[in-house]
Amino acid sequence: MAELLIQQSVNWITLGSIYALLAIGFSLIFGILNVIHFSHGDVAMTAPFIALAAAQILAASFGAFAPAWLVLAVIAAVLAVGMIGVVLDRVVIRRFRDAPAMMALVATVALGIVIRELIRHLYPQGSNPHAFPRLVSGVAFDIAGVPVNWFVLLVVGTTALLVALLFVFLRMTPLGLRIRAASEDRLVARMMGIRDHRVFQATFFIASSIGAIAGLLFASYAGVTRFDFGVMAGLLGFSAAVIGGLGSMPGAIIGGLVIAGIEVLAQTFVEDGASYRLVFVFVLVIVVLVFRPAGLLGRTTMEKV
Amino acid sequence: MGGSTSSPAPRTATAAALAILSQLCGAALLYAILKAEGTWHVAGLLALLGLGFYLLERFPWIGDFVTASLARVPLVTMATAAVIVLGFPFLVGTNTYVLHLLIVAQLYAVLALALNFQLGSANIPNFATGASYGIGAYVSALLALNLGMSFWLTLPIAALAATLFGFIIGIPSMRTRDTYLALVTIAFGVVVQQLLNNLDWTGGPNGLVGIPAPSLFGHSFASPLQVFGWTLPSQANFYYLAAALVVVAIVTAQRLHGSRIGLAWNALRADEIAAKAQGINVAWYKVLAFAVDAFLAAFAGTIYAFYVSYISPDNFTFLVSVTIMTMVIVGGMDNIFGVIVGAFLLTILPEKLRAFSDYRLLFFGVVVIGFLMIRPQGLFPQRLRHYGGHR
Amino acid sequence: MSVLLDIENVTMRFGGLVALDDVTFSIEKGSVLAVIGPNGAGKSTLFNVVTGVYKPTAGRVTFDGADITGKPTYEVVQRGIARTFQASRLFSDLSVLDNVIIGMHTRTKTGVLKALFRPGASRREMAACVEKAETLLRLGSGDLYEQRYRPAGTLAQADRRRLEIARALASQPKLLLLDEPSVGMDDTETDALVADIARLRSEHPELSVILIEHDMRVVEAFPERVMCVDYGSLIAEGGFAAVRADPRVQEAYLGKAAAHA
Repeated sequence: MAELLIQQSVNWITLGSIYALLAIGFSLIFGILNVIHFSHGDVAMTAPFIALAAAQILAASFGAFAPAWLVLAVIAAVLAVGMIGVVLDRVVIRRFRDAPAMMALVATVALGIVIRELIRHLYPQGSNPHAFPRLVSGVAFDIAGVPVNWFVLLVVGTTALLVALLFVFLRMTPLGLRIRAASEDRLVARMMGIRDHRVFQATFFIASSIGAIAGLLFASYAGVTRFDFGVMAGLLGFSAAVIGGLGSMPGAIIGGLVIAGIEVLAQTFVEDGASYRLVFVFVLVIVVLVFRPAGLLGRTTMEKV
Repeated sequence: MGGSTSSPAPRTATAAALAILSQLCGAALLYAILKAEGTWHVAGLLALLGLGFYLLERFPWIGDFVTASLARVPLVTMATAAVIVLGFPFLVGTNTYVLHLLIVAQLYAVLALALNFQLGSANIPNFATGASYGIGAYVSALLALNLGMSFWLTLPIAALAATLFGFIIGIPSMRTRDTYLALVTIAFGVVVQQLLNNLDWTGGPNGLVGIPAPSLFGHSFASPLQVFGWTLPSQANFYYLAAALVVVAIVTAQRLHGSRIGLAWNALRADEIAAKAQGINVAWYKVLAFAVDAFLAAFAGTIYAFYVSYISPDNFTFLVSVTIMTMVIVGGMDNIFGVIVGAFLLTILPEKLRAFSDYRLLFFGVVVIGFLMIRPQGLFPQRLRHYGGHR
Repeated sequence: MSVLLDIENVTMRFGGLVALDDVTFSIEKGSVLAVIGPNGAGKSTLFNVVTGVYKPTAGRVTFDGADITGKPTYEVVQRGIARTFQASRLFSDLSVLDNVIIGMHTRTKTGVLKALFRPGASRREMAACVEKAETLLRLGSGDLYEQRYRPAGTLAQADRRRLEIARALASQPKLLLLDEPSVGMDDTETDALVADIARLRSEHPELSVILIEHDMRVVEAFPERVMCVDYGSLIAEGGFAAVRADPRVQEAYLGKAAAHA
């Protein structure tokens, strides 16, 4: 029993970290745009495909496959996805900044469809699942006889590092402060003239790259990637962000852990829980929102009358 | 729009002629689109359609005048519509594929009209119409398969079950709004779809098979329909059934839109706090919108289940809900006619692009995004209400 | 005369901010009360507490003999309180006429079933509403009636204020709360507004009005009872002349207003 608990706790932390990274992206973008970028999950899940393609190109042009190619490919994918985010903002999402929330929601859902279909058609055999390697392998150490993989440490370490970097960036750098100002009070930010493109570009680049890292870790965790993984990745990341409270970074992390927690709990303690895990997750989403309409750490804003 | 620029009132004779002519034109266009084969043919019709919408936009008085004419001679309008709807299967003849498309389009029209109460009239997001549709289909199918209940009996029971579901998803709407509410409805949709997919008694991912065709006065809907010596394929039965449901949906929509309920929905869409200050129980009206949506969607679900005789969770996914939302937005929020046009176009056009059948979803996504960017108010924007013959 | 609205020791706190501090007053049937005070003094909060938009932190609100403290807005409106908003909140994409008809929501009854299965009754109800609304639009100053099929969002400022009042009257209230009705009106329009309110009172002698105003032209026209609020507290009450002469009012209101200007 103890082993099971430890094993599941390790799973929980791993999955929770990945969801948290996805949720951070949703939260960041919502913060400055007040719009849910529903296709963020799909954007994130393009990363494993780009990495695979890059690794194959590198291997083909430089002969044998080397671990270094994988590292390069991953970096390339993260940067490329960051750029994709910026382009999507420029071409589509920004136009819905002042539109009713519903329009933006439907438009980004449609954008998600377009991204998935493009992967399916443009990537060789895009409809099929593609194996994705564990980025690191082997056992790092064990806790009470339960082995903990390097991969787990990679996920947790990456998440912690990214969160720390983001924290520093948002609090210490001029650009980060502007993003924060824009997300904390849109009206004030607008009056102060922080409506320049750089805030949007930076936010989309950062959110999408973090999403790309989450996508790579997700594919690596699952050992496989598919063109439509973005739907669930997006739904779970979005749910985590909303449960935590949109616009709140600590909220996104807590939301990620809560979602992963219920998923792991369902799989561990409920008979046939694996099939019903999404039911548990989304019932939890409903319950949380009914009792805390603005999420766990969100502030309920009272409309001025 | 608006009374200040009132267009000349049509005379009765002109109005009657125009009412008949405009509807015949519409029917002819629909027929041409349904029959169109090959890319160029479809592209040409699309161009024609585009030109039509451009003219309507450029010269709004055309639309106003036609609308005024239709309203001027309601009996002529309705008689023409009835003749067209009743006669269409005879025109189509034995082409069962076209009939199938029309049935699906009509069911989607009902779903879109159902969602329009929320999305259009009250501007409440609901990504769970697909779930209500599914609940209608599953409840009626289960009743028919397990208890041997007749279609006509399952219809109201399924509708009641879905309405109950509508009330339940509506309850969180009292406390959450916008993005948060959208997520709640998405969550409900996923929960329902996942349950259908996993429970034993819903048949799991395989769904339910062998739902018996309904029959009316001894005539089975699975057998060809014989009228005045004409023989229509069995799909014609369902075509007329779906058409009857569309009529019910239109009447429901019109009566609610024209009553204080429609006004209350519009009020809370425009300004929730001001609506409360007029004594509108906003929470109740929101829940009501969910319930009405679910009620109508369940009817569509029931007919669908008995028509295809095989349902599975894949028929009622998140994507189905998004498609219905898109129909409302593309057609024109809170515009009954527009919503129906949106449903027909978005059902039939992707089917017609068989040349790129593989790219159907991609096409759908691009069209939706383009539409929202270029014409967010939809093909037929909402109109102001007019009372007592005022134009 | 009998008391219509009774506010007892009402306090409204938002976090650390005290928007209303132990306010007590009452208003009789058929009377007019003008509330003045500097911006942010808590005047609109008072309306929001009375109409149930906010639930007071402490205290009691009694209307027409019933305790309405913290009751939902729609219920309060049903009992006969109607209001206008400081920044007019019309249903801007609906016609002027529909705005007024929506104001009759509490005086109409059709539910879903009746609308669906007794369309005739529903239509008659709407027709009666249209007639009443048109009468209301004809009565006030301005030419709202001619503009009745315009979207409310396209109206000029003064017409927006008038429409808010017409919409509030549509519910046949016993108590009318007007939140700075003269904002955005020029002198002629303000005079017409004063005449409108005076006419209303003579036509409906039972109607009580609470008026939040900055414009002394309007306050002066209803001098019987004026109340000055500052920092959430009632600092003076009485006839217009007495309140205006009160040194605390001068300091709080006129002094600050002068300093602002």
